[in-house]
Amino acid sequence: MTDAPPLLEVRGISKSYVDGAKEFKVLDGIDFAVRDRDFVCVVGSSGCGKSTLLRIIVGLEPPTAGTVRFEGQPIRADNPQVAMVFQSFALFPWLTVEQNVELGLEARGRPPGERRERARRSIEEVGLTGFENAYPRELSGGMKQRVGIARALAMEPLLLCMDEPFYALDGLTAQSLRDEILQLWSDPEHPPRAVLMVTHNIEEAVYLADRVIVLSDRPGRILAERRIDLPRPRNRKEPEFYGWVDELYSLIV
Amino acid sequence: MGLALPGRRRIALAAILLAVAAVLAFPAQAAAAATLPGLALASVTRMVAAYVLSLTFAIVFGLTAATNRRAATVLLPFLDVLQSVPIFGFFPAALLFFVATFHGHPAGLEIAVVFLIFTSMAWNMAYGVYESVITIPRDLEVAGQSLGLTGWLRFRRLLFPSMIPKLVYNSMLSWSNGWYFLVASEVFTAFGETHTRPGLGAFIAEAGIAADMGAIALGLGALAAVVLALDALAWRPLSLWSERFRIESTSREALRVPGPYERFRWLPRFPGIRANAIGRLRPLAQAWERASLRLERGYVGHPAVVRTVRRADMIMFLAIVGIVVVAGLAGIAGLVARGLPADASRIPGAVLVSFGRLSLAYVVALAWTVPMAAWIGRDARAARVMTPVLEVFASLPATALLPAILAFSIAVASFAGLVEDLAALLIGLFAMQWYLLFNLIAGVRTIPGDLEEAARAFGLRGRTYWRRVLLPALAPSLVTGSITAWGAGWNATIVSEYVPYGGVVYDADGLGAILARATFATPPDPEMVLLSVLAMIAVVLSLNKLVWRPLYRRVATLYRMEVQ
Repeated sequence: MTDAPPLLEVRGISKSYVDGAKEFKVLDGIDFAVRDRDFVCVVGSSGCGKSTLLRIIVGLEPPTAGTVRFEGQPIRADNPQVAMVFQSFALFPWLTVEQNVELGLEARGRPPGERRERARRSIEEVGLTGFENAYPRELSGGMKQRVGIARALAMEPLLLCMDEPFYALDGLTAQSLRDEILQLWSDPEHPPRAVLMVTHNIEEAVYLADRVIVLSDRPGRILAERRIDLPRPRNRKEPEFYGWVDELYSLIV
Repeated sequence: MGLALPGRRRIALAAILLAVAAVLAFPAQAAAAATLPGLALASVTRMVAAYVLSLTFAIVFGLTAATNRRAATVLLPFLDVLQSVPIFGFFPAALLFFVATFHGHPAGLEIAVVFLIFTSMAWNMAYGVYESVITIPRDLEVAGQSLGLTGWLRFRRLLFPSMIPKLVYNSMLSWSNGWYFLVASEVFTAFGETHTRPGLGAFIAEAGIAADMGAIALGLGALAAVVLALDALAWRPLSLWSERFRIESTSREALRVPGPYERFRWLPRFPGIRANAIGRLRPLAQAWERASLRLERGYVGHPAVVRTVRRADMIMFLAIVGIVVVAGLAGIAGLVARGLPADASRIPGAVLVSFGRLSLAYVVALAWTVPMAAWIGRDARAARVMTPVLEVFASLPATALLPAILAFSIAVASFAGLVEDLAALLIGLFAMQWYLLFNLIAGVRTIPGDLEEAARAFGLRGRTYWRRVLLPALAPSLVTGSITAWGAGWNATIVSEYVPYGGVVYDADGLGAILARATFATPPDPEMVLLSVLAMIAVVLSLNKLVWRPLYRRVATLYRMEVQ
């Protein structure tokens, strides 16, 4: 099964910023791969360069060294098969829910009919039917992030990248959105085929991921990579679940 | 509101009766009044032309400065200087240039007037565009990138919408600034010749030269009516609409700026006219949508064309900057080579005289605007009564008030021989005070309710309340208002220290008077014009850099309200 190139291949990524005469190293020698049907979480304490890593992976920022390949090809920022979900939602406040969801398709010059149809489908998938013409400011935090997810899904991406997507939400809302993401991912008929998520919440990573990649403090290096083989749906109250959480904690601290 | 309609009808009836009575009582003025709508249309057309130019310039300039770091190092200091150039200082040169280009045809004059108004509108709008673009949240920018927004679509969906709040806010400032210079430029004497373009400003100025009080009042009334009608029909709806484009932000940076004080709330809303206008504009908007999609395709299809256009744009701009800089340097070099004119030694003293007079006007302005802002900022009933009154007064540009102020000064100060000084002081006051007042009201409104309640709960009253709550809370908006007020004040010295009225020129001492005298002399004295313009730029820039900016930084960190 290792014959085909992996969906995403990150090799030897390092990133430094130069500030005056000083050089700050943020990431150092990051290596990993995301394959079909993977759910990968990258965890680390705040400021370890997780978000920078994600931005390099989706091609929005060039690495100082190393390569990112998507299906064997160098990554490009406007690759429609990689979609992004943001911690701050990053919705355009002057566009309605539907216009926000359509935006990526509009940028690719899709005809209005197709745009509308795909947008409506994604909006339905995240359970926001009836809010197509609402503006983001009229929505609660959880609903805003649903729009963010619908906007990503409308691109029918192979890989969904998420940067702390549940950080700004209250506990209950976050949990129900986690379950919905799992559902979307586990449906083989629908995109995305794989999810790569960045979080500082270890419990969340154990709850969601097949594989967890643990980053060290700055500069971020891979401390460990663990395959979480708990059966799904996972139960946070089971001792096995806590075993994993404890192990990952001990790696970071 | 069941009573609103009959009430309005009653007011309309009273207005009609009053108008009929006025026509019967003053037939001569009524004949003059009949010409006013045409004059108003001419003036508004000039304003709109200048505004469209300013808007285009502001977007191109601000966007280039915000997105091209190399261009920004040239553009931003340039903008800084332009903002402090006394606009009347280079108007005679521009006028001469355009009149000569058009061989004395009135079109040349029109273009000169529009150009002058443009220079009074464009800079702060450009700065607003620049600020909006650089403060777009990073995540939004990144989201746009990852969705593939480029070129025209990026402009239409990300950059332009994010400009709208600051652009509308600055447009309202620019628009009232524009009235100020429109009124002053419709009648302009340069190089021994008086040039007049028919308009409301010319009407008022001519009434002033003839010292005809009835005509002055008529002109001022018409001007106030036009200014307020446009505010009600255009600016108020636009500023409400622009709220939609405000980016909600949790960053602290966003809190540093006090929100724009929402003006003209009391003006009628005209829901019928608005719905009608929106209905008419909708097909236009749809056509624009279709055209912009086509443009987008063309843009994506021909990147080489786009690059060429952008490069040509840049080269043109740099050429203009180059010419201005070289011409300025050549002028200075010529001055140095020939030796300074004899009058040059009077400039430092004149700077001090103008500064002293402006300081006095500033103190007077503070003395009434601070208590007034404290009163209407906190008392809803006072706001309802006082805001319309103040905004009607504020709608009259200081230049339009010149004849009225002169008449007043002559009546009051003739015996002491202080007519010129009093007039210059009052004009400076009128140029400065509104910026202070409206900034201060916005400042009072930003005091959080919790803080007010805490102050009341701890029994803070009287002097303690002012010292511990009100004045610290007002400090940031006081500094912001002062920067604008002083800029306007220096600009006003050129009209306030040298006023022709009733056939006599009232000439106070000061930097503005030196500049005006050099300009209006026959033949004019270009060396003194250049020297006094340079002196004024130097004074305004150094006051901004050495006093106001550091003060603003300190005040903004010390007294900023952190809202949850």
